[in-house]
Amino acid sequence: MNRLDGIRGGTPGQDHNARSIAALAANPACDRRAILDAAAIDKPLLMKRLRFDDRWGQSPFAIQRNQQFTDLVKANGAAHLLRLLRELLDLPIEEAGYVNLEDVGGHEGHLARHGHTRRVIKQTAEGLGRATILDRPLLRLDVAGAQVYLEPDVIAFQLGGMFHIVAIKSFAILDDQADTPKVSAAAREAAVYVHALRDVVGRDLVSHDVILVCPKDFTNAPTATTVDVRHQLVTLARQLSRLTRIDALLDRLPEGFSLDLETLSSGEIEAAVAAIPARYAPQCLSACELSHLCRKEAHLNEQVDALGRIVRDDLGGIESVTTALRVATPGEPVADDQAEIAERLRHVARIYDEAVA
Amino acid sequence: MGKLRTAIRQATAAGRHAEARALRARLREAERQWDTGVEQPSAQPPLVPVREQVHRALTLLGAPTAAKMIVAVDESFFGGQMANTQLTSLRRDEEKSYRSAPGARPYYLCAALTSELLSPARGLLALSTWELPQRIIGPLSPRTDFLTSAIRLAEHLMRLESASTGAFRLLGQLAQNIPGGGDGFGPADPAKVIAAAGAELAVHQERDQMDRREAAARAADRLKPVERLFGTGLKSVRSA
Repeated sequence: MNRLDGIRGGTPGQDHNARSIAALAANPACDRRAILDAAAIDKPLLMKRLRFDDRWGQSPFAIQRNQQFTDLVKANGAAHLLRLLRELLDLPIEEAGYVNLEDVGGHEGHLARHGHTRRVIKQTAEGLGRATILDRPLLRLDVAGAQVYLEPDVIAFQLGGMFHIVAIKSFAILDDQADTPKVSAAAREAAVYVHALRDVVGRDLVSHDVILVCPKDFTNAPTATTVDVRHQLVTLARQLSRLTRIDALLDRLPEGFSLDLETLSSGEIEAAVAAIPARYAPQCLSACELSHLCRKEAHLNEQVDALGRIVRDDLGGIESVTTALRVATPGEPVADDQAEIAERLRHVARIYDEAVA
Repeated sequence: MGKLRTAIRQATAAGRHAEARALRARLREAERQWDTGVEQPSAQPPLVPVREQVHRALTLLGAPTAAKMIVAVDESFFGGQMANTQLTSLRRDEEKSYRSAPGARPYYLCAALTSELLSPARGLLALSTWELPQRIIGPLSPRTDFLTSAIRLAEHLMRLESASTGAFRLLGQLAQNIPGGGDGFGPADPAKVIAAAGAELAVHQERDQMDRREAAARAADRLKPVERLFGTGLKSVRSA
């Protein structure tokens, strides 16, 4: 891992959290993000050095709204949550224990809180103690050799020896339908917690079904549903193992590669970032600090990535928009491996011309 | 003021500028008087101090309660107007007062203690006049306290000849989360809430009381009087 520290140089590293780990899993093919995360580069600072507007991040209103909704669900010993779990999973009436793991007698340190969380969760797993709902556990995850503390605003809850993760989100579920990107973002984040909780109690004791609590329709009343995060867990595990096997990626970088934000000039930083290949997709805009940089790059190079994943996959093998247009023009010479896609593109172009004509 | 404005318009229209200026001065004076007249009532301090208001709400609720709920009860049952922020430093102030002159006040607003570590439970306020077991928070206590409070609010509503719609709405919100307590629509039925909450309370009460008594015995054994009220832990040592 020394090489990663060398890349970061003297600049202090940035801590991971569940959102950043989830963002990593959202775009597994992106080498740029993988290397920057493994080296714990301070990405907001990087963007500032490159003079990009500080436009990225969650709106303070969204954070506040989420906090209000979470407080509502957790009020009075998580009374709303208990009702929802009783309706959704037939939780027996007797199971009503609620423990706030944040109360550790004034020991505010992460280590003490994590120790307390571990102890209570293990006790609960062994059937001791009366806790059903465990609020604000402090979990720990090993990311590229660094210990990352995750402070979820979620609740672990156990039923019949199985633990579940409860994620509370403030986007509405309208008529049993919710915004797909938001649900998958929530699922990715919850998968990080499931993964971390499995480290504590073991694989078999944590359910892959996550309970998502959201406002119902246009009201503020909470409703709950289960979300299967098996797929997200696999992606996450692959991504985390990739971080520990980052050497393969590092070998492709030039010798003496550095991204020390304190000593390099902004021009040098730009060149260094450009040296690591990125995999831009419009979805990055909501998950990655570097997204505006990568988008600009993709637009400048006329990469098809900027048009979205579906277009990119449809154009399999063709990298730039110019190439795609050339290939689509009848009579242009085409390489052998592009013959198939050329035929399809020309067919579509013909239909388009007929329709517009 | 309306008349003055009309007069100003007429004077300006007729070109009597000196008269219009004098009228404007009178209008400004009238507006200033009106403003001070409107502001007067809100500038007065409330009749009951905040700690009395909290005491009143807690006595009605009968269990350690979070600040938000105390404010809601005070507003809908006693017509009080507290802000959440007024309650944040209350516990610390009470602890300081107790430490400088123990027992000088008839009651203190103190902490509820967690059953495991006997540390102050986050965000909850309690009364020093309650028995120690009542101020212990075990795993089941948040639920039993919630049910107890709902029953006590419902009983209070039945005693009252007329209660505000706010009080019924608050009870309705609580009843929504009690099995068989109500559907959350329309005003809550206090008798139904009492029956439903009582039924669930009967399930938890015995185990909860056991936890509480055990922790209370431990607290009485190990803690100094001030810690019995405000909890033990690094925090209270530091603020001492």
